[in-house]
Amino acid sequence: MLARHAEDLFWTGRYLERAEDTARLLDVTYHGLLEGGATEAGMAWQGVLEALSLAHLFRARHKQATVDAVEAFLVLDRSHSSSIAAAITRARENARNVREYLSTELWDALNSTYLELQGEDRADELAAHPHEFYRRVRSRCQLVAGAAAETMPRLDAWRFLMLGRLVERAEMTCRLLRVPAPQPLGDEHQDEIHYWMVMLNAVSALEAYAREFGAEITPARVLEMLVLSPDFPRSVLFCLRGAEAQLEALEGGVAAPAVRRALSRLRSELEYQDFASLRERGASDALERTRRGIAQIAERIEACFFATGPSPERHVYESV
Amino acid sequence: MLAGERLSYERAPGFDEAVDPGHSPRAHYAALFAELARISPAELGARERLRDAIFRRLGITFAVYGDAGGIERTWPMDLVPRIIPAAEWAIVERGLAQRVRALNMFLDDIYNGEAAAVRDGIVPRRLVVSSDGFVREAVGIRVPHGARCLVAGIDLVRDAHGIYRVLEDNLRTPSGISYVLENRAALARVMPALSARHRIRPVHHYASLLLGALHAIAPKVRGSKPRVVVLTPGIYNSAYFEHAFLARQLGAELCEGRDLVVENHTVYARTTKGLERVDVIYRRVDDRFVDPAVFRPESVLGVPGLMGALRAGNVGLANALGCGLADDKAIYPFVPALIRYYLGEEAILPNVDTYLLWEPDQREAALARLNELVMKPVAASGGYGIVIGPQATEEQLDICRKEILADPRAWIAQELVDLSSHPTFIDGRLEPRHIDLRPFILGGERIEVVPGGLTRVALRRGSYIVNSSQGGGSKDTWVLAAEGEAR
Repeated sequence: MLARHAEDLFWTGRYLERAEDTARLLDVTYHGLLEGGATEAGMAWQGVLEALSLAHLFRARHKQATVDAVEAFLVLDRSHSSSIAAAITRARENARNVREYLSTELWDALNSTYLELQGEDRADELAAHPHEFYRRVRSRCQLVAGAAAETMPRLDAWRFLMLGRLVERAEMTCRLLRVPAPQPLGDEHQDEIHYWMVMLNAVSALEAYAREFGAEITPARVLEMLVLSPDFPRSVLFCLRGAEAQLEALEGGVAAPAVRRALSRLRSELEYQDFASLRERGASDALERTRRGIAQIAERIEACFFATGPSPERHVYESV
Repeated sequence: MLAGERLSYERAPGFDEAVDPGHSPRAHYAALFAELARISPAELGARERLRDAIFRRLGITFAVYGDAGGIERTWPMDLVPRIIPAAEWAIVERGLAQRVRALNMFLDDIYNGEAAAVRDGIVPRRLVVSSDGFVREAVGIRVPHGARCLVAGIDLVRDAHGIYRVLEDNLRTPSGISYVLENRAALARVMPALSARHRIRPVHHYASLLLGALHAIAPKVRGSKPRVVVLTPGIYNSAYFEHAFLARQLGAELCEGRDLVVENHTVYARTTKGLERVDVIYRRVDDRFVDPAVFRPESVLGVPGLMGALRAGNVGLANALGCGLADDKAIYPFVPALIRYYLGEEAILPNVDTYLLWEPDQREAALARLNELVMKPVAASGGYGIVIGPQATEEQLDICRKEILADPRAWIAQELVDLSSHPTFIDGRLEPRHIDLRPFILGGERIEVVPGGLTRVALRRGSYIVNSSQGGGSKDTWVLAAEGEAR
């Protein structure tokens, strides 16, 4: 397929995943970590911004990390590419360039999501019913993903779309786990359990965890579930293995073997990482190393499959 | 006055497509009126909302340049379809095929023949060489089967007597076929009972016809199926939706200029696997943008080196370069003579009476009655630049007069055609509105005419401007199957 189209599909996948994961993160932060006072809330939101590497960008626009400011920044602010609205808009713009690869259902699902977020009353709605809002973003993204899974032939277009989603998801799960625990409000042990439950909730893993490990929640097991589970679809390892399989199936690309090797190395390093033995600080650093590794893989995918020399700017052109 | 319990329609003077001068429905519209009369105003509103939702959700939009309200607008389709009986269409179809055949022979004669029509005095040489659509660089490029204009859109109007006339030819990159297909699909969903009562000739196979025609201009068999791509100026073009639509239906890749590269006079696509050869380009980029190395160096829309590949016969291009010569409005008055010259037949579809403003006598006659005529720039399309005499101010007419005197070759003047009208829903009521018709013709190895075409509607009462870029609407257009008008 055309290199440009492959790139557009890859980014459609990434932006779609970014929108969903950002909604998940905000939802649990809002409902799970904000049971303390204003100071604690401010710190929790600051933690979210730092985990997303957006603290700097945020500070250029807002003074304080209040709930309203952070939500405005991460949900509806289109001046950067990491808000939910911007991610959906870009997912749609990219998809529009490859419309001929997408089924009508898939386009319909994505375009409807975009149109819904265009509404003028979105800010009011977000303020009034944040959970409802985030739930809807999540389920709309899942609808798009479902339409893709049910209608796209398992050819290169699908593989690039999935590569984008899996790479973004792996990175976002690493980021999620770097959101710091809030200040203890009372019983330290209970607060810790609460924090790790929130983490599980953020990736819809609570039920799967309970089946695997029972109701007892320990940091080591949660990390094992969210980082190293070979079965849970949002674990970092699961995403990397999935990305490996997609990459394996892709045809061509002169540098493809080198990209595959780099990804395999990253994956096996992760597999041999013993998170249980790491202290809190060490786990966080290991996750950050993995996250950087994933970002580098994404860059190598771009260079290998999409680089077709400098692309000229798009010009507006008239003919009716 | 046509009155049902809920439905009334007052026809306008002139030719009404659906109602005869005695105010009775024409036979082929009887079933339609009966069906429309069952729909309550509330239900009509609900259906119009459903229609809008369908078009918006599917992203069926068009762009309007310089429109501050955003560049994408939802496609406007009226819920009353236009119906053309089989016998009437049979004549139109023959007329269109005849016209496209002759125009292609003319183009091939000029670009790849001995210019016999010029030599024999059918068309003045100076008109050809001064035409904005004449592409000198295309002379000598051979096109298989002489299929230079592979996709044509011929705009037809019906005059006050119901006679179909050719208003203009669009032979470069005519757009609108995607809306023909989408209108059909949407109307069947929004008004299922209407469609069910008629036997309508299908249009949804268009892409398969087009693909066949594109394969037929592929350079040579290379063992496998020719690789066809659609070349678009990009997402900001007003017809981008259509480019993507056609690429999807053709199963072809939608390329921009930067996706293609020419090496050794051969065109390749930049793919994830490296460079892959391209055999046929269905391009929706204007002539003078296709190859920046030959035409406009600053353009990024085209493919440098494409002209060389064309000359070497290594790639098929549709439409071929230079088709704009034959849809130059200054050539238009000569088309009936070209039909006679190449085919030995009289034109089945007459032109609209036209003044050639570079002829002193005709110019004098036209200038004396500019306020009654329609003046058109010869090289423009999309309704841009047109001056409608009866609706223009004195000042506009003065400017037009000066422009004509300064460059008579750049203008034609035509008698104002009192376009036929058609019942159209306006704010929940049926009202007459002027319409035209753009049928699509594939001028390949065999000529294929798509049944019907795009009916455009001027939504303002009395207006003659039907272009969607200027606030026009559209209608699903039904050509009925032969025998039996309604089931």
